Amino acid sequence: MSSTLTTALRGLRLTPFLPIRPSVTLPSIPSRPLSTTSVPLNKMSPQYLAAKGLNKKSKAKNNAPRQPNFINMLRHLAVLSPRRIPAPLRMARNRYLRHWTIHRAWLMYRRKEREAREKVWMRQYQSMNHACEELRLTSGPGSRDEGSLFRTALEKWGVYGLKGVPIEYTRAQTETPARVAWNHDWKR
Amino acid sequence: MLSAPSRGAALLRSSQRVCLQCARTSTTITRAAPLAAGRRYFASAEAVATPPPSSQTPPTQQQTRTKTATSPQQSQSPAYRIKSGIILTRPPLLTREQTPFESAFYLYQKRLNERLTAPFRKDFYFKKDTASDLDWKIKLKERHGVPAKDIGRYNPRGRMAWNDEVLTGSTTSSPENVLEALLADAEARVSEDGEIMAPEERVPVERPVPRKTEADEKNDVRRLDRALDRTLYLVVKREVEVGGKKEAIWGFPTGLVHTEEGLHETTARVLAEAAGVNMNTWIVGRVPVAHQIVQPIEKGEKPEESKEKLFYLEYLKEQADLKARGVKSEQVEERGEKIFYLKGRIMAGQADLKGNKHGYTDFQWLTQEELKEVLPEKTFKSVRNMFDLR
Repeated sequence: MSSTLTTALRGLRLTPFLPIRPSVTLPSIPSRPLSTTSVPLNKMSPQYLAAKGLNKKSKAKNNAPRQPNFINMLRHLAVLSPRRIPAPLRMARNRYLRHWTIHRAWLMYRRKEREAREKVWMRQYQSMNHACEELRLTSGPGSRDEGSLFRTALEKWGVYGLKGVPIEYTRAQTETPARVAWNHDWKR
Repeated sequence: MLSAPSRGAALLRSSQRVCLQCARTSTTITRAAPLAAGRRYFASAEAVATPPPSSQTPPTQQQTRTKTATSPQQSQSPAYRIKSGIILTRPPLLTREQTPFESAFYLYQKRLNERLTAPFRKDFYFKKDTASDLDWKIKLKERHGVPAKDIGRYNPRGRMAWNDEVLTGSTTSSPENVLEALLADAEARVSEDGEIMAPEERVPVERPVPRKTEADEKNDVRRLDRALDRTLYLVVKREVEVGGKKEAIWGFPTGLVHTEEGLHETTARVLAEAAGVNMNTWIVGRVPVAHQIVQPIEKGEKPEESKEKLFYLEYLKEQADLKARGVKSEQVEERGEKIFYLKGRIMAGQADLKGNKHGYTDFQWLTQEELKEVLPEKTFKSVRNMFDLR
């Protein structure tokens, strides 16, 4: 019984010690005048918990064996409890400076990559734009009037919809190739 | 320069009202041409307003305006022949290689993550006293109790948890080492009966196929499984006779646009005629991604002076074509060309030049850098802006 009590109280070990008031009424929660949030369970005083029936000791009334799935869940919650989750990183001055430098370098690297990509898109757009402008001012072939090829090129029949993009084209890039990297013997 | 309202007025003035589609597809050219000229929804004033450049100073830039037809005679036999070409590309199959900075950064982040995450919950993943549980225990012991497989020798929960940076020159973060670590971990250490296997009994897992293929090592430029992390472009070779000597010109497959065709139809036809049908291709859009203009040679102009040699070769070829077809022009010695390139993607198959109608004798799949060495300079300059990042 005493072991269960210590287990229940282990979570409360780090909370600031609150003096026990000799009171017969319900002990009050430590006052936080500027706070509107509710106080977490492990911050409440043991007397308050015991009086509300939230204490582990008061809850474990029957000594019936627990179900395995219940034990499993308890273990899972134990792993995810704030005691087991590591504390936020604390770094000394130089270490933090290195971290900051690495972070900035990474951001700069990402930005360079992004800008290179955008430049390529702009170049490609300009190339298409110039080609279209030339096409618009071109008459022919034969006796077709100026810009007729341009208008045909801008038609959208069959461009959208399910058959607009072939399904093979959606293949994602991988880190290593397939066993047979390319199907050279594909036949129509 | 027409303003927008005046254009609208011109539209209203056109007496015969035929829809644009009918005007375009009409087979009676004598009727359709004036009709379509009256119903124009785009600005053409700029082209008429620009004076044609003089023949003494031929434009060198690709983007300069082409010589416009000014007299009605010339518009009867235009100075340019319109061609459509296809730039058939094989997209990269592989992601690009990690830079050393990237892999180092990834290792750094992995270690920080290990410092910050909840502990690994073994019971959730491995049922007690099963073969996989034993297997996990063995591997965990070899990793000194650290669940992460690819962070090297580092314990994020130990006394030295602060020491999460690798020293300069360490190869812990390199992709090869990470791959080796993962492969070693994937090997089964315990048999299905729960017996611990001796080192000689263990079956190694299948290694991933290397990124460099056989075609890369042989530098076989005709195969498509080379340079897997790059875009490959299909170029074809023509041989032109100049003064009894054969010269080779590399370029993209191109062909004349027929009167009834759109650019994308020509492109599909040219591709099938030039490189065979046994390729799973997709022409990305109907809009050209690049264009190339070959200026016409006017009367009395010597092409050698103004044009580059390789382009002159092209002219000679065309001249032979024209003579064979009996085409003659009054004002122009030799007609120029406007080539509009469309972009295509290949997903499977291989080019086959057997019996092609365009006289192509050879083909190659090249990266952008290799294209620069093979293509004529002007062709390369006119298409290079459509190239992708890699």
